Amino acid sequence: MDFVFGGCVQQAQQAYPSRCMELRWVSSRRKRIIDKEKRALLPKKPLIPPALVPIYVSTIPSHVNPEELKDLYSASNHSCHRFPSYVDSEGAVRVEPVDIHKLSVALSHSSVVVSVFCKPTDVLCATETWSSSSASSSAPLEDLIKPRKTLGLGDLFQKLLPVTPSNGQLVGFGRAVSDFGLTASIYDIMVIPSLRGMGIGRIIVKRIVRMLASSDINDISAVCSENERLFFKACGFGDDILGSTTMIYSRNASTHHQGNQIVIRAGRKLLLAPPHREAP
Amino acid sequence: MLTRNAAPPSSPCPLVSFDFHCQMSDRLLFPHNLNYGLDRGRRKHESLRLRAGFWESIKSGFLKNNTTQVIETPSAPQEEEEPLPQEFVLTEKTEPNGAVEQIIFSSGGDVDVYDLQALCDKVGWPRRPLSKLAAALKNSYMVATLHSIKKSPGSEGSDQKKLIGMARATSDHAFNATIWDVLVDPSYQGQGLGKALVEMLIRALLQRDIGNITLFADSQVVEFYQNLGFEPDPEGIKGVGNLEPQHHANPIMLLFW
Repeated sequence: MDFVFGGCVQQAQQAYPSRCMELRWVSSRRKRIIDKEKRALLPKKPLIPPALVPIYVSTIPSHVNPEELKDLYSASNHSCHRFPSYVDSEGAVRVEPVDIHKLSVALSHSSVVVSVFCKPTDVLCATETWSSSSASSSAPLEDLIKPRKTLGLGDLFQKLLPVTPSNGQLVGFGRAVSDFGLTASIYDIMVIPSLRGMGIGRIIVKRIVRMLASSDINDISAVCSENERLFFKACGFGDDILGSTTMIYSRNASTHHQGNQIVIRAGRKLLLAPPHREAP
Repeated sequence: MLTRNAAPPSSPCPLVSFDFHCQMSDRLLFPHNLNYGLDRGRRKHESLRLRAGFWESIKSGFLKNNTTQVIETPSAPQEEEEPLPQEFVLTEKTEPNGAVEQIIFSSGGDVDVYDLQALCDKVGWPRRPLSKLAAALKNSYMVATLHSIKKSPGSEGSDQKKLIGMARATSDHAFNATIWDVLVDPSYQGQGLGKALVEMLIRALLQRDIGNITLFADSQVVEFYQNLGFEPDPEGIKGVGNLEPQHHANPIMLLFW
């Protein structure tokens, strides 16, 4: 192996010898279904054919470029901290950018890393459709259907080439941490906003579950906020793990702070560590 | 450095998916059938070496301009090693017959799986496969244990060492950690030992700047963890699970008194 990973990841790569990479197609038809109620109110328009977007799903950690991943975190407005601190930029509430060094460490110690790539041209089309459809739903149809321009040989060649991690843009990501014996936890599932609603997130989660199942881990947990819960429910995750309550450490430094204690900042929380104990 | 299987063969950019590995270059360029005279062969080998070096420099030059870099071994994370194992005496008690009992805290993770299985039986947890237990312990970020050492008065070397408590945490070493399997021998409960175990774990995790510490608590122990600084479902954040009932159930609940 050329790269150095935590022991658990190397074990993962021995557990399933076939390194999984695959090409899939996702359609935006699902998005249309969600918008149906809105559409019913609008005057009848001829249906726009659903866009079929080829994506490359990879489970090889080295395909992920930390810089690209950091951009994906920002684009998805996702934070590594459970309680992110918000930076108000240009009127929009956004989470603080992720620390790239810590991100590399986290990646190297994640048992499963799934990344989804898409051709930049497809991403651009999706972004334009998404921003135009979210901006005004009564825009004239001509704006929504891109006029077909004459394709030169170079463009044709580009269209025919399959998407790969080297020529594609990172549009989706997910990772899980496991002890390869009993438990696993899923973290940081994200897809860029313009390609949401197409089933990419579900593909990521299903792939993680499949990889963990091949190492005989079937008890997978994911801690998520209210808006993410619907997504996980749709992926087959049930509520309340065996009736347990999820608890997160949040002892604040402000209320109990004394002198020389360990205090760390995690997002917008200032966490206080318990004092060290030793027999006198 | 490129990995061999990084890109599929149909990759459009041949130089990026160059399957050359530094040590392989000689083998790939060296001709197999050496029917030449020795001199010619040597010259050819040298010219081939030069050519290999030439391609290497082209490749490395190209890679520097390439924006998609594979994750190389970052030098920084090597400084952040696994938490240094600590071991110290937590409590010491002298019994009326002169025997001294020490409770030793250790974070070295040196746990005998059979001892652990016996302890799980004592607290009434369903049995889990030993191999899975062993794998889970090996791949946990930190395993904290409590051992009781009874030193009888007078006799040397007849110390009784017994595993009486354990707690472990899995983590990605940077942002998230989850605490699992906190248990203390029933005959040693109620002394604050479990609290000490969990506090040590939290302390070690926070020292490493790992801010998201989560656990899944059974209803009976929610209050216990609240006293330690854990908040149940803060801001609507909850855990969801992909659990299927199995005949050898893996309980995620943490039983503690």
